[in-house]
Amino acid sequence: MARVTFRNVWKKYGDFAAVKDLNIDCPDGTFLSILGPSGCGKSSTMRMVAGLEHISAGDILFDDKRINDLAPKDRDVAMVFENYALYPHKSVFENMANPLKLRGQDTGRIKDRVTQAAKLLEIGHLLERRPQELSGGQKQRVAIGRAIVREPKLFLFDEPIAHLDAKLRAHMRGEIKHMQRTLGTTMVYVTHDQLEAMSMADQIAVMHEGELQQLGSPREVYNKPVNAWVAGFVGEPAMNFLTCELTREADRLSLSHPNFSLALKPDQAGCLNGSAGTVRMGVRPDALAISMTRPAEPVITGEVFVTELLGGDMIVEVQLADARIRVKTAPEFAGSPGEACYLSVNRDKWHAFDIDTGRAYF
Amino acid sequence: MASRDVVQYETPLTRGFRWFSGVFIALYLVWTLLPILVMFVSSFKDLLEAFKIPAVGDWSGIGVFFDFTPTLKHYRDLFVNLDFSRYMANSLVAAGGSAVISVILGSMAAYSLSRIDFRGKSDLFFWIISTRMAPVVAVMVPLYAIFRSIDLVGTLPGLILAYTTFNLPFAIWILKGFFDNVPYAIEEAQMVDGATRFQAFVAILPLVAPGVGAFIVLCILFAWNDFLFAAIIGSGGAKTLPVATRELVQPQNIQWGSIMAAGVVTTLPMMLLGLVIRRYLVTGLTMGAVKE
Repeated sequence: MARVTFRNVWKKYGDFAAVKDLNIDCPDGTFLSILGPSGCGKSSTMRMVAGLEHISAGDILFDDKRINDLAPKDRDVAMVFENYALYPHKSVFENMANPLKLRGQDTGRIKDRVTQAAKLLEIGHLLERRPQELSGGQKQRVAIGRAIVREPKLFLFDEPIAHLDAKLRAHMRGEIKHMQRTLGTTMVYVTHDQLEAMSMADQIAVMHEGELQQLGSPREVYNKPVNAWVAGFVGEPAMNFLTCELTREADRLSLSHPNFSLALKPDQAGCLNGSAGTVRMGVRPDALAISMTRPAEPVITGEVFVTELLGGDMIVEVQLADARIRVKTAPEFAGSPGEACYLSVNRDKWHAFDIDTGRAYF
Repeated sequence: MASRDVVQYETPLTRGFRWFSGVFIALYLVWTLLPILVMFVSSFKDLLEAFKIPAVGDWSGIGVFFDFTPTLKHYRDLFVNLDFSRYMANSLVAAGGSAVISVILGSMAAYSLSRIDFRGKSDLFFWIISTRMAPVVAVMVPLYAIFRSIDLVGTLPGLILAYTTFNLPFAIWILKGFFDNVPYAIEEAQMVDGATRFQAFVAILPLVAPGVGAFIVLCILFAWNDFLFAAIIGSGGAKTLPVATRELVQPQNIQWGSIMAAGVVTTLPMMLLGLVIRRYLVTGLTMGAVKE
């Protein structure tokens, strides 16, 4: 178990910087998820921790020990690869025993550890099989098994469940989280799926184009995104963005749009003081409430574009003058396309971003 | 996985083609197997019986071929009087030695070429195979001069070196293709598991076994059947089976019986090798381990 620190870490491929000046501190026992779209540098980051890529600049530390120049085998990490990378010519048992064998453990102990790990992952009955005889979910368990037979300082999981079907993925999310909590080992988990990061991690590091955008707990990242990019990337369905004008009437600062004019709360107005002109307003589909009759409070007016029933929820797309926004509502909603509708905004949960830089005002 | 059945419908054309292929294959079998059959049968015949042939057009006289009293005297002659066991050992050591050296050096070179990028890599790779572009005869004289000046002519190490010179580029080319098909993630997993780079390389060798097997067969066949190198560089101290067989043809006396027996002795080990190695030639060993 170890605390992992990234100190001004860069990864360059020729002139292209895949990771730019990364600083993360991941305390011992933390489940850190590195989240970002493909090509954001998250896999390069993980591979630098594993020792599979050189670190172009900066340092990575395990418990204050600089590990930049250690070979992978001396870093005492265990990794699960996106494509599992099982040894095709070896049985499941031999696959899982490999890390112990390479470290010269005796046969009895290897057998104990492998059996124990196999039991934890419910693959005890598969030990004699070969990888090509396993299903995707089973292969993935074997890959995890190979990582947990040892007691490494650090787990590195590189999109381990990306290739499983949706149902199994949901199941494995819970299992991996439980396993990490039980073993208490520090975990770095790379994913492009914000749902995985939100549901499993203690800390999320959101990356985009090689830069760390935000580091925080899932709650912070979801409720207080630092910029419009993070706000749009995290959350499903995605946050709605509307370009609004800041208008001042008497003492009150409002966000104006062809479809609405809504006053900011005093503290929010404080955040915007001094800035003028255009801002991007962001509001998540679940911070909006839709109704077919006009409520007393100020609302956004629009018309129903399409409704999507998702079982327990319904998503309504609403056409505004210049954009469409999505609203999450109860499945009983009865509006039909083309009808006028009214959206009230939970103003504790809306956001404003700088129109150019995307930086969040609140 | 989709069904592997190939859907095919009969037309007069396919029927005609099938009939034609049947005839072609039958003729081809006769063409390739008849000489071997004659060699095999003749090696057990006394010289007089071996030259009994029916008159042209007399198909019923074909039984004459198989009407003989088997004798082992040609084989006895080969191994007792003509020292063929030594020549056979020479052949085995020369072919096996060069195959082993070529596989060891070739797999390491091929692995490096497959995995590591360095300046001039493609030029180096081309240069390696270009050494095989000149015909053997063209390089024979300079090679002989070099070997002579370092006292390697007529020795087994000399012969092994000569064969390796020609097999190694071939090994590198064949094996690089096989290494290219092994996903790099498997070695990365090995290294994270605690292996050194070299251990990781050794660990993936089973995955290129089909390539190694194919190469060993080709390499041994090349050396085993070679006449030119063996006659010129191996002459004297490192005489191999083809050279020894050639020496049975003397101006006054062509020893047909011994030649046939020598032919059998030379052919059989290669056939056995083919049978043994066949199961290593199965491909698709990597399938299913890595999800691409």
